[in-house]
Amino acid sequence: MKTTFLLFGALATPLFAGVKFADCYKIEDIKLPAGSPAEVGAIDFADDGTLFVVLRRGDVFRAKPAADPAGFDWHLFATGFHNGCGIDVLSPTKIRVTQMAEMTEAEDSDGDGTADRYTRFASGWGLSGNYHETNSLTRDGAGGYFLAVGTASHAGPTFFHTLGTFSDAGRRGRNYSSVKWKGWVLHADKDGNVTPWASGFRMHNGIYRDPQGELWCGDNQGDWKAATPLYHVEKGKFYGHPSSLVWDPAFTKSKDPLAYYREHLDEYNRDRTPAAVEIPHMEMNRSAGEPMEFPAGNHFAGQMLLPDNNGERLTRIMLEKVGDTWQGACTHFIDGRGLRSGNHRARFTADGKQLYIGQTVRGWGIPAEGLQRITFLGPTPFDIDRVTITPGGFKVSYTDGIPAEMKDPKRWKVSSFTYQPRWTYGSDPEDKKDHAVTVAAAGDKSVTLQVEGLAAGRVYRIETRKCDSTGGSPLQNNIAFYTANALPKP
Amino acid sequence: MRKTLILLTLGLQLDAAEPPLTFNNQPMGTLDRPLVLRTYVPDPGIDDAVFPQHDRGRPVAKYNPGIGQDVKGEIQPVAGIAGAIAVNFGPALSYVFDTTECRLLYAWQGGFLDMTPYWGEPDKGSRISFDYIPRLSGTLFWQASGKHPVEIGGKSITDLGPRVFTGYHLEKGVPVFEYRVGEQHFTFTLKPSDQPLSFAATLTGGENTALAYHGIDGAAGKGSVTFTVTGSQLGKFQGYKRVNNIAKASAEVGEKLFNQYGCAACHSTDGSASHGPSLGGLAGHPVEIEGLATAVTADRAYLLESIKAPNAKIVKGYPPNYMPPFGLPDVEYDSLVLYIETLGSPE
Repeated sequence: MKTTFLLFGALATPLFAGVKFADCYKIEDIKLPAGSPAEVGAIDFADDGTLFVVLRRGDVFRAKPAADPAGFDWHLFATGFHNGCGIDVLSPTKIRVTQMAEMTEAEDSDGDGTADRYTRFASGWGLSGNYHETNSLTRDGAGGYFLAVGTASHAGPTFFHTLGTFSDAGRRGRNYSSVKWKGWVLHADKDGNVTPWASGFRMHNGIYRDPQGELWCGDNQGDWKAATPLYHVEKGKFYGHPSSLVWDPAFTKSKDPLAYYREHLDEYNRDRTPAAVEIPHMEMNRSAGEPMEFPAGNHFAGQMLLPDNNGERLTRIMLEKVGDTWQGACTHFIDGRGLRSGNHRARFTADGKQLYIGQTVRGWGIPAEGLQRITFLGPTPFDIDRVTITPGGFKVSYTDGIPAEMKDPKRWKVSSFTYQPRWTYGSDPEDKKDHAVTVAAAGDKSVTLQVEGLAAGRVYRIETRKCDSTGGSPLQNNIAFYTANALPKP
Repeated sequence: MRKTLILLTLGLQLDAAEPPLTFNNQPMGTLDRPLVLRTYVPDPGIDDAVFPQHDRGRPVAKYNPGIGQDVKGEIQPVAGIAGAIAVNFGPALSYVFDTTECRLLYAWQGGFLDMTPYWGEPDKGSRISFDYIPRLSGTLFWQASGKHPVEIGGKSITDLGPRVFTGYHLEKGVPVFEYRVGEQHFTFTLKPSDQPLSFAATLTGGENTALAYHGIDGAAGKGSVTFTVTGSQLGKFQGYKRVNNIAKASAEVGEKLFNQYGCAACHSTDGSASHGPSLGGLAGHPVEIEGLATAVTADRAYLLESIKAPNAKIVKGYPPNYMPPFGLPDVEYDSLVLYIETLGSPE
């Protein structure tokens, strides 16, 4: 009798419970070398699959990933980097690391397994002595890089002797740009020659050029950053944090951009390029890490992952282009479930079946340091697949069949608001509105919502009630936020 | 005994591998494998003339982020070097090479850097606000002054153009710094010397030209010059000073202080070898002292003297001038001695 019951149970579970989170993703802690402070500044794979990990105190370890998360055979490859927060692995014996004062190439030239040559690859940005001025990188596709150069924090000083020219106007305010190129994206060509690319960033902790060649970075909510933005970065554009403009010879409106834009907010809004996607700070992502595209073969291929450096969360971003304008929706990819906080670097393995996440908070809060691995077990959870804008509302698609009640407009709530970045540390949503919703169309896996009063320049909160799919799988996320920078033409 | 042997063996193996950085905020290298650490480093009061390739950080009006405006008062810059590289050979030598000025800034002995204010405590990880520059530990004996000291063909290289750092390579683990002026390339290497308060330097560059290091007698040659520099005690540093409010001396407090003051960087507690004599099995046992025919017993008086005045009695096989004297309140000295006494007998 007992045996029969157990058998019945085992057979019945998949039939009735559908696909749960744990059937889709496994989250593991990767053990770094014993005794090493696991403050992961950056991670990258070599073409042969060797994983390199930069720790913020200066060591770089490498190992071939093992099936056992505690069984990595780590070797110290290089050391001596000052808060290295970006790495490009050129080969299993050559890496480039962005550290505070420069970008450095470290090479094992004698084949003994450890780097013996440390060559300056690129420099030209200053260093004020402030603790906050970390840098990160992404390849430019032509042997060079785009570099994200963070600003300084008012919670720390500068030195009497600064590396690079000091600007009194740049030093003012909360997060500041007292020396060159703080708050900029720079371009370094294949020979390491650095030129400015785009301005107006606060702390773009991670930058990413996607396989199509588009350049993306996040930023940290704070002064002149209303929420957590994802920016589509283009040459010559200004992304909203004024301090960086002290280094822009084309900015002639004032010698004190911070004070100027504080007093001329309308002009500020005309001059700045808004975020492609605004990610609400509390609900979704408190501090953006490095963006990373889901690879081919993944169910969410082509969508973007954005780690949350200040929460146990990874955000999933569904981008689309309306006319010439990038915009899109966000929801959680993973929220909790054993994920640590401190998420800021992301790399998929070459086969796309695993995702490594580097984590560090040290110096910004209770330490949440380390390296975790998410393995894609195969099944796809019942989740929002994509949110796209329509001339009159949104089409919300799912990964599995939706139950009939989801097609009932009473199951849906849509509200909207605006964000105005300004000198304050973050901005509250303004001009909040509730929108009447009707269901314009419904398919097996999607609902098209007609939203009354749909307008551009607003962030839409789209919520349905939690339910199970027709296959019996529980819905992972019932809330998405869509940033409507532009509306499609009917 | 057996345990000690095992620990000794383990210790040797650890030394044989590249020792990675740990939560120890007073990391040290060794003679064979110097530690290269890029970090903000302190400015012990170096002459402004040393910094022509830096700019001057200036005070700024205090800013109130709550109201978004400047308020009364100013925020002053602090002393520190931004783009430097610090190198440590163990107690024998530490120095700072600056990648912006492309020159040696200062050298010290008997310790390295205390990273506590910058790296924070392992469980908290918080830096010390506005005061996070790592602290020196040991005896400062040489610091730079005046313009760049390198001359070729009798002319200062500062006349030839800006000095540009290009990198460094390791020769048997020892960093060789590289920079150029125009198309003229230079290297600079520093190693410990067998003399106290000294270092040995090698400068290369200007292959067929007279090369000299200004201000050092005999530091001249063609293409390459090696010279020894002997300094004098310019200052003693004890790392980052913590505040301890201790009512009563105890071994427990002593253990805490032992960790806080980074004693473990040089002294093991289990008998295993390190930069300084081990404290395991020390208390109550005979110790051989340099210059003394008979061993002395490590009693309370000996232990107190050795912490207060480390050079008073030098243990055979260990160099003098490496351990800084710790200016501590009596209650802390007493606690440390009580703790060391608990380590006197093997477990």
